[in-house]
Amino acid sequence: MSRYVLRRLLMALPVVIGILLVTFMIQAVIPTDAVSAMYEGQTTEEEAAEAIAAMRERYGLDQPWYIQFTRYAGNVLHGDFGESIRLRRPVSEEIGYRFINTLQLTGAALLIGILVGVPMGILSAAKKDTWLDLGAMTVGLLGISMPAFFFGLLLILVFAVWLQWIPVVPRGGAALLLPALTLGLIEAAPLSRIARSAMIELLRRDHIRAARSRGMGEMSVILRHALPGTLLAVMTVIGLQFGNLLGGAFIIEVIFGWRGIGELGVKAIQWRDFALTQAIILISAGAHIGANLVVDVLYAWIDPRVDYDT
Amino acid sequence: MPTRRSFMALSALAAPSLAALPRRAGAAPLKELRYRLTEDPESLHSGQSVSLTVNTCLNFLHDRLIYIDNEGKPQPWLAESWSFSEDNRQITFTLRPGTKFHDGTELDAAAVKFHFDSILDPKMASPVRGQISALESCEVLDPLRFRLTFSRPFAAAMILLSSATYGVNSPTAVQKAGRQYGRRPVGTGPYMFKSWSAGTELVLVRNPHYRQLRPDAVNKGAPYADQITLSVLPEEGVAFSALQTGELSAAELQTDTVERLRQDKRFAVVIDEKAKNILFLEFSFRPPFDERAMRDAISHAIDREAILRASYSGYGAIDLSPLSRGIPGYDQAVADQYGTPYDPAKAKALLDEAGWKPGPEGLRVKDGKEAKFAVRSYANPVTDRALAVIQSNLADLGVGISISTADWGTFYPSLLREGWDMDLNRWTYSDPLVLTNLFRPPGHRRTLPEDAELTRILTAVDSTLDPAERQKVVSEAQKAILERRLMVPILTNHQVTITQAGLQNYRFDYLNQVLHGDVRMSDW
Repeated sequence: MSRYVLRRLLMALPVVIGILLVTFMIQAVIPTDAVSAMYEGQTTEEEAAEAIAAMRERYGLDQPWYIQFTRYAGNVLHGDFGESIRLRRPVSEEIGYRFINTLQLTGAALLIGILVGVPMGILSAAKKDTWLDLGAMTVGLLGISMPAFFFGLLLILVFAVWLQWIPVVPRGGAALLLPALTLGLIEAAPLSRIARSAMIELLRRDHIRAARSRGMGEMSVILRHALPGTLLAVMTVIGLQFGNLLGGAFIIEVIFGWRGIGELGVKAIQWRDFALTQAIILISAGAHIGANLVVDVLYAWIDPRVDYDT
Repeated sequence: MPTRRSFMALSALAAPSLAALPRRAGAAPLKELRYRLTEDPESLHSGQSVSLTVNTCLNFLHDRLIYIDNEGKPQPWLAESWSFSEDNRQITFTLRPGTKFHDGTELDAAAVKFHFDSILDPKMASPVRGQISALESCEVLDPLRFRLTFSRPFAAAMILLSSATYGVNSPTAVQKAGRQYGRRPVGTGPYMFKSWSAGTELVLVRNPHYRQLRPDAVNKGAPYADQITLSVLPEEGVAFSALQTGELSAAELQTDTVERLRQDKRFAVVIDEKAKNILFLEFSFRPPFDERAMRDAISHAIDREAILRASYSGYGAIDLSPLSRGIPGYDQAVADQYGTPYDPAKAKALLDEAGWKPGPEGLRVKDGKEAKFAVRSYANPVTDRALAVIQSNLADLGVGISISTADWGTFYPSLLREGWDMDLNRWTYSDPLVLTNLFRPPGHRRTLPEDAELTRILTAVDSTLDPAERQKVVSEAQKAILERRLMVPILTNHQVTITQAGLQNYRFDYLNQVLHGDVRMSDW
């Protein structure tokens, strides 16, 4: 198993370098930089020429892109993500706690998604073609179709404005509640549909028929014989959905003022703050690769047929 | 997606944790005012950012050397007097004695020098240096007197120095905090920094030793509120909800949202009519825009009132002058005489006269070339709507336009290359220097033809310090730009703030800043 993990990590390296290189080149061909973007509609380049030159020199923006990239990559290998031009602070100081916040949000959302989506899917499969199944799948379809920003505002309207159970601008741990619910309930929709179809498929299998013929109760059949197989399918989707969650977090963080990496990522792109953008992309890519690796490892734990050492 | 049961169960689970939350502003023991920030400020190091959001935050923390009165004239604030050298390149300020920073240290000439030196230091690479570009040095003459030297007579200096961006930092605090100073600023203003949860909120507390030196302020002592919370709420719908639940004392809102609250007696609408922005259409000066006829016709074809209604629900004023009404030097007489009011019949006649005849597909044609042009702008709901009106106005004239929009960082540099004929632009600046920056040939996008007379006038706008003389050259500049049809001024939008009905003294000064020491709730 450890050899497999190591191999996967080594395979991820060129992916990360490729992502860095491509994003760096995209930024290099964009006809502006962080310094020009800073003066939006206020001061012309002519008026600010001296200040612009000083800033470009300080941040190395006056160098060709490949020199900037080489310098940047060297610094990253030494654990230095550079300084944000706009925030005027080391990037690592800013993104460290923000990444933890985003992980908290996506983690809580994933938990909500699993706790709501998987039981709902299983119940739908067990009660296939009943009103319960139809209702659950309609709600699921609604969840898949509904944009995260709209659902977020809807939750604020219901919980904060109408019911007044929670402030619109909450503080402390409560601040996590609505953004996590928004993301989590939307995440529950695809999970419930996957769980349902996997469970229906499994319930048709011979070993399930055999279990039923031995007189096992339906609940035991579902929980002991069909659930592990269903979880395998769900697990695959969770790995893939992690990217969606991170993407969704970008929007949700802006709406709810959750100080995560997504909210900062949107700003970094608008600011053309390449050090900040690169670091966020790097961390997001790392998180994707890590999540998929964890899912693969969990496969082996859940499914005894999988053996990565052979 | 929750079923009703899971929805209720989750809500019930959430309820106990919510009980521990701080209570709403109205019932709080603290006298707290909560305002909205549309974005997280990047840093609170005054002198190191030109962002308008940062400026808004710094206004709580910093008094300035001077302020601009309602006539647009500089008045003493932390500086009690100033004088200009004969060549107008130097300004000598005398500070009032006894002004203290929040950390108890004194604001003296050495502190001011420390501040301006940090702006000028190439190692600091301050973007503010780009605004006050003519500043060369700051020298201390005695503990209360210092001299600013400029490379040329720099008329915009007084307006710039009255902005919170130029509020002086405590040198002791800067040296102590180092690179972290932007996260724990120390000024001389009515409120002191307490905490900052990046991306979420900034908390400021009353400066108990504060004395307000501006005669136009109501409250001359410490501010009324114990605490100010600035909540970062970029999303309009969230700010709207927070106003409804009383969690915000005031918030600047987009005009669409304002309309929904205007009739509600729980709120008051505060409109700042001294706004200093201008939305305008400008020309590339490539054929056929090198000929006056096309520029002239388009200038008369734009229905500014319709754009104001579509883009800002009517909250603003149409502009016929290239200078926004809120900027000192705006000349209504010039606007009336040389402006190009909406007159579609005149616009059509101008094109007919210039040989642009109606073509087969509704577009005018001259010498085999169709009147079909490319218009660029920055992506924004407001410009989208304005462009829709412009497109319709020009279609009526027989002129077709293709529109492309992008974010500012892409749009603005793209104007340095070919491939566009007109652009819709918006600029915010507090001084008539904006005319020089934008329209002194070759202009901010390097498209304007050589013009010695215009260059002379706009250079004078930049360098004339005497107020009466400057008014004359600024009027002359407005006239020159209009006569040449360099651009089509469209409108200035007003900043609209919704406040809770009980909020008192929430008003804007000449530079669109609130005197925060004056603001209070009626039941305090």
